[in-house]
This record gives sequence, structure tokens and C-alpha cells, in this order.
Amino acid sequence: MKTTIEKTFEVEHPIDQVWAFLSNPEKIATCVPGATLTEKVDDQTYKGLVSMKFGPVAVKYNGEISIKELNQEDYNMVLSGRGLDSKGKGSADMVMNGKLKAKEGGGTEVFNSMEVSVTGMLAQFGSRLITDVSEQMIKQFVSNFKDKLNISGQTEDPSEKKDNSIDGVSLMGAVVKSKIDGLFKGNKEAGNDKDASES
Amino acid sequence: MGCKTSREIGGMGHPIKRKEDARFIQGKGKYVDDIKLPGMLYLDIVRSPYAYAKIKNINIDKAMAIPGVLAVITGKDLEKYNLHWMPTLMSDTQMVLPTDTVMYQSQEVAAVIATSRYVAADGVEAVEVDYEPMKPIMRPKKALEPDAPVLRSDKEGKKDNLIWHWETGDRDGTEKVFQNADVVVKEQIYIPRIHVVSIETCGCVADFDKVEGKLTLYMTTQAPHAIRTVLALVAGHVGLSEEKIRVISPDIGGGFGGKVPVYPGYVCAVAASVLIGQPVKWIEDRTENLQADSFARDYDMTCELAANKNGKIQALRIKTLADHGYTDAAANPSKFPAGMFSICTGSYDFDTAFTEMDAAYTNKPPGGVAYRCSFRVTEAAHAIERMVDRLALEIGKDPAQLRMENFIKKDQFPYQSALGWEYDSGDYHRALEKAMDIIGYDDLRKEQAEKRKNGELMGIGICSFTEIVGAGPSKDFDILGIKMFDSCEIRVHPTGKAIARFGTKSQGQGHETTYAQIIAEELGIPAQHIQVEEGDTDTAPYGLGTYASRSTPTAGAAAAKAARKLRKKARKIAAHLLEVSEEDLEWEPGKFSVKGAPEKAKTIQEIVFASYTNHPQGMEAGFEATHYYDPPNLTFPFGSYICVVDIDRSTGEIKIRRFIAVDDCGNIINPMIVEGQIHGGLTQGLAPAMYEELIYDDEGNILNGSLMDYLVPTAVESPKWETAKTITPSPHHPIGAKGVGESPTVGAPPAIANAIIDALSHLGVQHMDIPITPYKVWKVLNEKGAALEV
Repeated sequence: MKTTIEKTFEVEHPIDQVWAFLSNPEKIATCVPGATLTEKVDDQTYKGLVSMKFGPVAVKYNGEISIKELNQEDYNMVLSGRGLDSKGKGSADMVMNGKLKAKEGGGTEVFNSMEVSVTGMLAQFGSRLITDVSEQMIKQFVSNFKDKLNISGQTEDPSEKKDNSIDGVSLMGAVVKSKIDGLFKGNKEAGNDKDASES
Repeated sequence: MGCKTSREIGGMGHPIKRKEDARFIQGKGKYVDDIKLPGMLYLDIVRSPYAYAKIKNINIDKAMAIPGVLAVITGKDLEKYNLHWMPTLMSDTQMVLPTDTVMYQSQEVAAVIATSRYVAADGVEAVEVDYEPMKPIMRPKKALEPDAPVLRSDKEGKKDNLIWHWETGDRDGTEKVFQNADVVVKEQIYIPRIHVVSIETCGCVADFDKVEGKLTLYMTTQAPHAIRTVLALVAGHVGLSEEKIRVISPDIGGGFGGKVPVYPGYVCAVAASVLIGQPVKWIEDRTENLQADSFARDYDMTCELAANKNGKIQALRIKTLADHGYTDAAANPSKFPAGMFSICTGSYDFDTAFTEMDAAYTNKPPGGVAYRCSFRVTEAAHAIERMVDRLALEIGKDPAQLRMENFIKKDQFPYQSALGWEYDSGDYHRALEKAMDIIGYDDLRKEQAEKRKNGELMGIGICSFTEIVGAGPSKDFDILGIKMFDSCEIRVHPTGKAIARFGTKSQGQGHETTYAQIIAEELGIPAQHIQVEEGDTDTAPYGLGTYASRSTPTAGAAAAKAARKLRKKARKIAAHLLEVSEEDLEWEPGKFSVKGAPEKAKTIQEIVFASYTNHPQGMEAGFEATHYYDPPNLTFPFGSYICVVDIDRSTGEIKIRRFIAVDDCGNIINPMIVEGQIHGGLTQGLAPAMYEELIYDDEGNILNGSLMDYLVPTAVESPKWETAKTITPSPHHPIGAKGVGESPTVGAPPAIANAIIDALSHLGVQHMDIPITPYKVWKVLNEKGAALEV
């Protein structure tokens, strides 16, 4: 099953600094919740690991990330990743697109989209929650991105490891909370808007 | 029907309470999971997360390291004994466990045997399987495209994904009628994949006694004898000989066709028990049951109906694409790959008809079981009943009127259908008239017209179905070569109490009560003193089991025939005791008396006692009889259902205001049980009409593989069912009965769909596929600009 999540946010850093961060897989991977890079195969290809706990299903995707497009002229990059769960519980495919636009008066607008397709247990048991969880993931991604961008601006050590694993309980808690908030607010985005996920 | 027997005897027609309910309502039923044997081990199954993948490696080391895990069985292990593949009931082949490729999500990959259920589950978690996923084929249309990859590459020479092509009827004659017809209507009708969702999942306890070389298999099966024979055929080469196999089918919590096939889990449990020499229990959980066990339906039908301008229907043509998953594991009689689908001409007098079908392999679980319907009758009835409504809409005729004008008439029976069946008896006009009277059809149509003026949505749907059950006559019907007769053995004890054993197996149908009533009717022994036993292959006579509404038509007939053999013997003994000739005796339920001298009589109890204590010289002692009944024809129950719905224009919510079911199942054995069967069947007909559908995405994931997402209606969703009956006995059945368990499941979906579509027809809606959910209705209302803003 497939889910596409899009998010646009702003950072106050100049576009070239943001681009340097976004276009470096070793840096950007550390923003993906639960992800670590384990090996550089070549300039375009890396091996890595993503761990997630999803209610009753814990998965550890072992896979490859490769850079499909990297275009500094229009600040556009496309990453694709494919992972298999190490215990055979399923697979995940992801295509991430990042685009930057310079803001007037400094700062940068970051457009990020992720198309995630999962098979196996996560799809079987989590199909109703996958959109919400992906949204939480991208929120965490954005917050990590901002944090690390700040750090990279200051210390030149972007790969410094903070707690970067997905906390299943807190993630689920966040999903549940956003669903409940959605119910009370009548907020369509936070509610279970089925059209958001195509299957 | 008046009762011939007294209340005390409790023969046919008495609404006596179900004997089995005493234990069921007290929670004292004995189901397979209640069986606990000393030293019993537990089996759990590793399942594939992929719909289609190569297995590169299975690492069992971590699982084996868990204390309490005794064995992990893989396809490679079974391959050593040539047990990794098994035949399906349709003579296709199915993996027990795969050696190199998985073909559907949730397919069995390995079996873990452990000292407790929990340890077994931990073992499953610890087995590491290295897969190489491949792109699955999830749609039968794609599967049959010329360049589609061949899924069953295990089959030598297989060049496509077509399982079989089947056709029947007059192709050219039908085409000719269509070319000259005044009116032709055509619809694409999809009956989605659904699941039987019996309350009890499948499971077994396999107990192999190494010393005796005997396997006792307690198993949730609707057909224990057939299972024993299949086991002997499949595992004969490893030493399982048929006399050393005992299959016991204990109480079953619902079968509905889902407990006919042989699932890999059963075979793994047997293999494990034979291997280890200890009893092994395997019980599916709910999710496994829903995701891996046999589905039902999944027919995509292109339906065409030709008529003249007055609405006289002339020809029917249906082309079907059937999705069977990765193997044809349906449970149809061998000669009928599409089951009884050719009953699709329904209750109408067709000059000609033609139907053809392509069955395709896909990466879905196997099956095609007859979910509470006699082999694809539900699909057939849905097609014809939708098409008749579609024609009514096209020519602007009332659908009840159109049906009345086209029904097969009472005096046309026995009726030869265009697709080759001989309908035994029927009175379709009377059933529909009765339903219309009860529900007040004409007033409802007036009300509907008024409501439409006010912008309110109300619909009336009719279904006048004809069923075909009781498989079946041995000249045409067999499963794996075994003819579809069924059997009864009656043994009456000296004090006049009896035990009767059958080749069928109740899963909630109430056989312990109804079979006893049949024997009570014939012999006059009170039903309460007749103990009915089924499901133990060591004791019961051979039979093909209970499904397809066949128990009453076959085993019920066998009961009557066996009882009549005994009555013949009773007459001889009575003549001997009363010292008169047999012709001078007169039978009334429970006794023989001398004609003209009713005070000279012998009760059945006295006669039976004499058969043990004072039988005539030269006559065999004892009071026993067996009959194997081979039906001369199938039986054709029918009915007319009318459903009334109201639809909320702002939410699309569908409310079933009334539903009347008029059923005719011939002579009735126990009206209370028939009523109960109809209530249950209607609810299982409501399910696919408005709620149930197994949904797969293109990657092969099942998207609603648990009861959180797969909506099974409960009492909350069920409307108040109203029932009534007409009685048209079967002329060829010994007691004139036809079978009823499946009629309501067959008849309810088109009645409900027709009602909903009728409510929307003035907006231009001609057809909607089931399940018709509020969301679907809401979408249609918005498309047609008829939705109300909330």
C-alpha cells in the first residue's frame, strides 16, 4: 500500500547552506527517524538501516538508498530507498523529493515529499494508521532537519548523533493524540482522511 | 403441513427444540480446541509477508535455540518425503510448505512445533526467512494478458495463467436471439472476494500412535470421510493406510464451506505428529483464518439479457472472469469447475442461454469455496436477479410485474432449463404473490412515488431466486472420483431406543434433532430417543459430508430409506407376533394393528424387543439397517424476497426498513430450525450486500486482513427479518424435502442491492456493485447532484 506525504516548511538559513545539507545523504539520512547509514557503496549509493515499531509489529528495514537526481540549478533532489525487513516481515520502498526555494529577505522554503510503499505485516496490520504514522515521521524529520541544520551551521558536525531512533510508543502516542485532537476539532487533516492514501 | 405424528413422537413438522442446544448454550460443546491430550505439542506457522517472492534461505537456528521449541518444519523437510505438494479437491496442486517460492501473502512458509502455544509463537517470531520479492499479479484480467508472467511455472509446459475455460449452452443460438432482440441490456457485475468468517477458526489435533501405527485426527472438517480418503491417497506412501486413519470431527462452530478444503496447517500437524510421535495441536488465529483460508466468490461477470419490447425475456449470456488465487482449491464436484453456476437462468423461462468462464491464477490465496451456497449459486442468482431488474428499468416495467410475466409456470414442472437442469418442482408466482401481500407492495410503490416528489429516497428490491442443491446424482457428481451419495445407519436397541449414524457432519445445522425427526416420522420411535452421531470415521458410514445444502437431500433421504427398511422388517415381526399375514396389518406412526381390529396391535417398541428376544425363525435377529442414498436428481428450493430501504441523502446511510423472505424448501422437518437457518442466512446475505469485501492492493497486501477492518455484520446491523413460507414438495425426495440452509444467503444480496439501486434509479443509477456501502451511495449522490449538505 502506498502513501504520499508532502510538507513545506521554512528555515532561516540561506539556500546554499540548506542545499549543502539536503544534498548530502550522510547528513540527510540522520534526519529520517529511526535511520542510520551503515556503508557508502559509491557517491550515489549507500546502505542503511531503518528501525520502526508499530503497535505489535517491529520492523528493521535493511536496504539501499540511492540518489536519483541532484540538481543544484533548481535545488531539486530525489532519493530512493528500498529496504527488506531483516526477519522477513515485509519491505518498504520510499521516494523522497526535496526542493528548495530562496525566500525574499533571506531564509529558505523547503518542500519535501515522501512516497512510501510498504508490503507485508506493516501493510496488513497498519494500513489504517500508516498515513498518520507517516505524518508523524515527517514532522520528526522536519524537526530533526531544523535542529541539525542549526548545528551544522554552528559546529560543522552534522552527523553528531542525538537520539535518532523512532520511539514506537511516543510515535503511536502522537498519532493517537493527533487523531483525538482531530476528532474534537473536526479537523479533516488529522482525522482519517482516506483519500490521502491511495491503495 | 399437518403433522402425521404426535408431539410425543415428534416426527416431521414439529418445532421441537434442538437437542444439541443443551450443551451449546451452556458452553459445554466440545470443539477441537477443547481437546487436550497427554504430551500434546503445539504448532504455529511462519507466514509470508509477500504475495510473490523467492525464498532464498530459511534460518531456523534462533528458533531452535528457544527452550521448548522441538522442531521447525520447512518445505525442504517435507520434500524428502514428497509431501511438500498436495492435490486440491479440483485436481490442481497446492503447496503444503514452499521449497522456493511463495505465491500469496500469508502463505504458510514453515511450521514451528513447541511445548506450548506461546513458545511456538516465539519460535515463529525467531525464524528468519530471506525473501526476494517479485512483482505479484493481483488482477485476473492482468493475469490473462498475453505477456503476463506465468505464475505456475512449477507446472511443466504451462504457458499462461488460465486454469480452465468452461462453457455451457447454445453459443450460436443465443447470439442469434441477441441479434434480433428488441431490447438488450448489459451490465458488468462484480461479486467481490469475501470470507466465511466462521466463529470457530480451523484447527486440528493430530495424534499418531507409533506402536499401533494409527493416526487419530481431530479436525474441523465438514467432510471427515473424504478427508480420511484424501489422507490415505496423499500419505499412503509414507505408511498411512486408510484403516489406520481415524478422522474425528467434533462440534464445529460454523463451516459455511470454509471447512471443506484441506489446509497446509492440517498436513503440517499430521507430519509433525508422525515425525515426533506425540499429539500436535494446530489452531489458527482469527487473522490467519481471514487471510489464508479459502475465500469465496470473486467473479467478474459480463451479463447480457435479451427481451422483446413487451418484456418477454428471450436469452441470457454471461461471460465470467474467475479469480482463483494461485491454485484452484475450490470444492466443486469434479465435472463442474464453475459449480452450479449454470443455474443462472434462475426462475425464468428462457428459450436459450449461454455462459462461459475463464478461471485465472493470481497471487491471492486459493479457494473459491461455496460459502453457504451450493457451488456458485450465489453468483448466478445475483447475476440474473440484477439483470431482470436492469431490464425492468430499461423498459419501464414494474420489476414484480416483469418477473410474474417471465416466471416458469407451475404446470411446466418438471422443467428442463436452457442450460440443462431438470427443475423438480416450483410455484414461483405463489411465492412472489405472498411476499408482495405481506409487505404491501402496491402501497409501497405509491409511497415511493410520493417520497420521490419530496426528494426522499426510498427503494424496493425483489429477488425471486431458484436454488440447486443436494449434490448429487452419482452419474454426474463426484469429488476426486468419490460419488456424492450419503448414508445413514440406524441401530435400534432392544428397549426401542436408537442410535443413528451419518456420513454428514453438522456445523450448527441441527442434525441431531432433524435426523431424529425423520426417523421418528418413519418408525414412530420418539425423536428424543434417537441419538444421532456424525463425524467419526471409525463408526459412521461413509458419506461426503455437509455443505451445499446437501444433508437433508442426501443423508436425510438415506435416513428415511433406512427407516423404511426397518419398518418392513417390523411389519414381518408384527405379523409373526399377531399371527396374521403382513397384508392384514395397518401402520400408524408407532404401531402396526390388524385391519378392522385396531385393539390387536403391536407397538414399535414391542416389535423391536421381539427382534432381540423372539424373532421369527429364519429371520435375522436384531433391528438395524443402513442405506446409501444416491439421489435421482438435485432439489430446487426457491423463494421470493422483498427488501425496502430508506436512504439518507446527506450521509448515504442505508436503512433496511423491512425485509420479507418467503421461502419454499419443500416439506419441512422442523419449522423452528428452518426459521433459524433463514435468519442466519439472511444476515450472511446482508454481509456481502453492504459490508464485506476482502481488498488487496497491487503489491499483494490484504488491506483488511483483520476483523478491525473486515466488517462482519452483527445483530446490531441486522434488520428485523420477516419470514413466511410456501410448501412445494420435491417429487423425487423420499420425504419431499429440498434443503434450506443456503437459500437466504443466495437470495438476500440481490434483494438488498436491487432495493438500493431502485432508490437511486430515478437519478440515472442503473447498477452498483456490492458491497453497497454508505460511502458508495454518498459518492453517487454527489455525482448526481442529489446529496444534501449536512
